[in-house]
Amino acid sequence: MRCRRWRGKRTSPSDRSRPAIDVGTKRRWFGGREGAQKRFVAAVITPAALYMAALSLLPIIWAAALAFFEFSPRRTGGPILGLGAENPFVGLDHFRAMLDFSEQAPLNVRQFHTAVKVTLIFAFLVLPLNLAITLPLAAMIDSVHDRLKVVFRTIFFLPVLTSAVGVAIIWGFVLHPQRGLLNGLISKITGKVTVIAWITDPNFLFFGIPVALLAIIVAYLWQDIGYNLVIFIAAHQAIPQSVKDAALVDGASAWQRFRYITLPLLKPTILLASVLTMISSFQVFDLFQVMTDGGPHDQTRALSLDIYQNAFRFQRMGWAAAVSVVLFVLVFVISLVQTRFLRSQWEY
Amino acid sequence: MARRVTAVRWSTLAVVVMLVAGSCTFGPEEGGGDVEPGGPIKVRVWTHQNRSFNRGLNALADEYTQDHPEVTFEFETFDYETYIQTLQTALPAGTEADILQMFGTWTCSYADNLAPVPTEVAPLPDVEDAFFAAPLGGYICDDTLYGFPQEFNIEYGATLVNTGIAEAAGVDVAAGWDSWDAFRADAVAMTNVQDGAITRAGYHFTAADGLSYSFFSLILQGGGQFLGEDGTSFTIDTPEGREALELLMSFVEAGAIDPVLFNDESNWVGDCYFEEACAMGLVGPWVVPEYAGDFPEVAEKTVYVPLPTLSGSPDFVADSGWGLTVSKGSAAADAAWDFISFVTLDAENAAEWNAASGTLPALRENAEGSARDVLVAEFPHFEPWFPLLESGHYVGNLPDRDLLWYDIAYPHLLNALQGAESIDDALQAMEREANESFG
Repeated sequence: MRCRRWRGKRTSPSDRSRPAIDVGTKRRWFGGREGAQKRFVAAVITPAALYMAALSLLPIIWAAALAFFEFSPRRTGGPILGLGAENPFVGLDHFRAMLDFSEQAPLNVRQFHTAVKVTLIFAFLVLPLNLAITLPLAAMIDSVHDRLKVVFRTIFFLPVLTSAVGVAIIWGFVLHPQRGLLNGLISKITGKVTVIAWITDPNFLFFGIPVALLAIIVAYLWQDIGYNLVIFIAAHQAIPQSVKDAALVDGASAWQRFRYITLPLLKPTILLASVLTMISSFQVFDLFQVMTDGGPHDQTRALSLDIYQNAFRFQRMGWAAAVSVVLFVLVFVISLVQTRFLRSQWEY
Repeated sequence: MARRVTAVRWSTLAVVVMLVAGSCTFGPEEGGGDVEPGGPIKVRVWTHQNRSFNRGLNALADEYTQDHPEVTFEFETFDYETYIQTLQTALPAGTEADILQMFGTWTCSYADNLAPVPTEVAPLPDVEDAFFAAPLGGYICDDTLYGFPQEFNIEYGATLVNTGIAEAAGVDVAAGWDSWDAFRADAVAMTNVQDGAITRAGYHFTAADGLSYSFFSLILQGGGQFLGEDGTSFTIDTPEGREALELLMSFVEAGAIDPVLFNDESNWVGDCYFEEACAMGLVGPWVVPEYAGDFPEVAEKTVYVPLPTLSGSPDFVADSGWGLTVSKGSAAADAAWDFISFVTLDAENAAEWNAASGTLPALRENAEGSARDVLVAEFPHFEPWFPLLESGHYVGNLPDRDLLWYDIAYPHLLNALQGAESIDDALQAMEREANESFG
């Protein structure tokens, strides 16, 4: 077979010292082979980018703008996007109102304060409980036979795939005062009719935390631990066996290996899981709405529910937008703090 | 190889474009139906999802079309929550349908985007004579009529009674009760307590609607008012308010109900009653056809018995129920109003819809005579309600009825009944928060 002649610019041995790209000439961004690749990428990304801009970025900008107006979709408003006129510009009034902690503060402000408290309690309880369950569980599952590993992973991951609304409804049934599984079990054990209002009694507290809120935490953990578990099992498997063997040879117990080998080496993964868990716990809505709808006595009124009710039930969109901005700032700050606190310097 | 890579790239691009195109929808540019002079008229109708309501309306639409073949109807239904949001976004945007089914109490909040009823369709004085005051009230905003009600939405005045449980408890409900003491005693007799816990409530009135309607109706019956004359302030922390709340509290103290176990979130009154976890329950007559299919044996034992009154006054508070309105931007307004008149102002058609939907009539004419007999034959549990209808008072053009009912009145009333708030604190908080809602 005769080789085809290269039809490009001939290079002589002396030419080979010249750089492949002549920086003196004008670069064509979309020309040539590299340009073809860039054109293809641009063509594929542009529709998705437009879609994201229209359905994600624009709503975020609109919500941020609404936070500075007393806006209700029921009122006609000015000619530009319904802003102004009956939907007046109020500047930072919403944010100033949020700082009113007096007993005479308007209902929506007091509900906002309650919602912030409930959301923070929820998020800061869910995270350590989630890690406390998933980390040792991942280590245990990783220690069993490979075939059993698959079985356990599947069992624990199945709730993650379940609809959150379905989870909320089922847990509502489990906790039902008269016909619930939990009260039924207690009745069977104690031999007495047990009618405990787990999610509707405002006086039912556990170390000062409403039991209704704890019930939602339990339901959320039940559904969510599979997600982190799978991540931690994978990370656990990535730890070099030699490190574990060395610890074993040195006489470290299972707890010592977990505490001094596994945990430190999993730190990058723990950081990732923590940030993701924290962000998602701030956004939980369906469990709160379906299980308790914010009750009893606003004890489970999370920020997401507060935003939804203000925006879509009572059409106070300006106020709801301001609360959503606060939620965004909270999530951003906490994620930043987590990243700083948990970042590690080593790799293996 | 290069050709294959190119083919893959172009295929990927094609798939992406198809996905994006598939996610786009191209709706009508303008709201409302299509009208060409002398040509076919398409009228778009929006309703909320209620099978019996929509079945009745569709049947009337078919009848109307027989006499008006140039008119066609396009129905679109939404579940309740989605419907509220759809109205909120579509009305300011001008993309709403021609005919909008409206819950009367909402009407004034959307009045800017609704068409007033043309005088030639029905002058307001005639309409006020034809309809009961409570259902009509919501459709009148600043002395302008914006639609017509189809039903009398009633949630107070009589209670569901399970005659089987009553009989077993030795309680005779046939004659009703002439005092709250007698009623309370019977409720206690029908309550089931096991190991110190109420397993069957005698009288469930602590759902959100039941509690709020009870409280505000009892204020009226006590001779008070909760909304100022000019409609710009609430007066709830009053002797009548206290009397009402104390009366409701007496049921809890007597042991007829535990509001911690029975409320809107847990053991909601409809579920509670038909599962026989409650002997009596306060909820409107719409609930019976809703549950009769799943609980026929309980439906058979169900009657409504009028509640006792305070100071002999039968007055009660009622929402303005579901009805029909026309959007301001409708291009088929004439046809829309003609159809709405056909459905709501024609007594026979209105009665037909009430029978199909299982609702009480909004037209006075249909609360007596043969129309009433037909309804009672179809829905025997309606009978005790008819004598009460004239005593209904429209709840009033509140700044936000849902806020007052579900976020202000119900939580504080329930707190008071559960012992989490004193009566004084509850009344003061309700009055303060209700007045804040005026903005």
